[in-house]
Amino acid sequence: MNCEIKFLVVDDFGSMRKIVKGFLSQIGYDDCDEAEDGVIALHKLKNNKVDFIICDLNMPNMNGFQLLAEIKQIPTLKHIPVLMVTAEARREDIVIAGQAGAAGYIVKPFTKATLEYKVTLILQKVGFK
Amino acid sequence: MPSTENNLNNHQILDVHHKIGNLTRQLHDALTQLGHTEKLKASVGEIPDVKSRLSYIAKVTGNAAEKVLNLVDDCKISNSVMLAMAQSLGQSHKNDGATILHDYQATHDKLDEHLTDIMMAQDFHDLTGQVIARIIDITTVLEKELVELLIQTSPGSPKVEFVAPIVPADVLIGPAIDSDTNPDVMSNQSQVDDLLASFGF
Repeated sequence: MNCEIKFLVVDDFGSMRKIVKGFLSQIGYDDCDEAEDGVIALHKLKNNKVDFIICDLNMPNMNGFQLLAEIKQIPTLKHIPVLMVTAEARREDIVIAGQAGAAGYIVKPFTKATLEYKVTLILQKVGFK
Repeated sequence: MPSTENNLNNHQILDVHHKIGNLTRQLHDALTQLGHTEKLKASVGEIPDVKSRLSYIAKVTGNAAEKVLNLVDDCKISNSVMLAMAQSLGQSHKNDGATILHDYQATHDKLDEHLTDIMMAQDFHDLTGQVIARIIDITTVLEKELVELLIQTSPGSPKVEFVAPIVPADVLIGPAIDSDTNPDVMSNQSQVDDLLASFGF
């Protein structure tokens, strides 16, 4: 497990950011920043090294889809895997996320085991060990 | 005397009820004549949805509270057990520290797991918060339309073209409260994974 992986958790609810960060810490990933919407997240991404993004969909100012689209247009950021963790469970939203390049999609409420499984799977796919 | 007072009160109540009935009928007629019934239909149609969302909030917060309280009870028991173990270790004259330490570790791990579950149970805040935001959106639209209607129907006010607010078809709607009855809403992570796999993602 590469504990030097830098995570960015993006969600407009502080309680959810805390839960995700807590889970990441429990599975060995302590280096974790947070942002409450896509605008703040994008600013942090442009100014800090981030290896993995965990992102909600329904957020003010810039939602998850818009953030994903922005990331995919920036050469220095488009390689970063984006795992959607969201309450949006409609078929069309899930398909759109896949087509837009999301690395994974978790629906809320979720378990620590699900988050750990998805994070591990994605890290393996992108070449982190 | 009391009988007369009761009769008077009943008469007043009936009078108020009659007046409310007249007002309701007048409102209905005005809405029909002004052509607002169609324009308000979208908002009125959201009211059952609002009720479902409020019921969802009550259910989720209730479940979370019950879960947390049960876990707290278990944690208290574990805590008492750990205290007893520590006291036993302090009073023990025999060399059974390893056993006590093993049991202490097991109880500690169980307590830690409960605390994680308590943390996870707070996810209701995010889910209910999104639903509440959606309800606020619906009631704001409804309020705006009713204010517009009042302006239009007040005596002497100039006729202003009423433009119904347009709700985008692709707006994110928050947590699914009807996954049991709506085939387009995934009800668990397995369905999400299967859907993505079917598209090759």
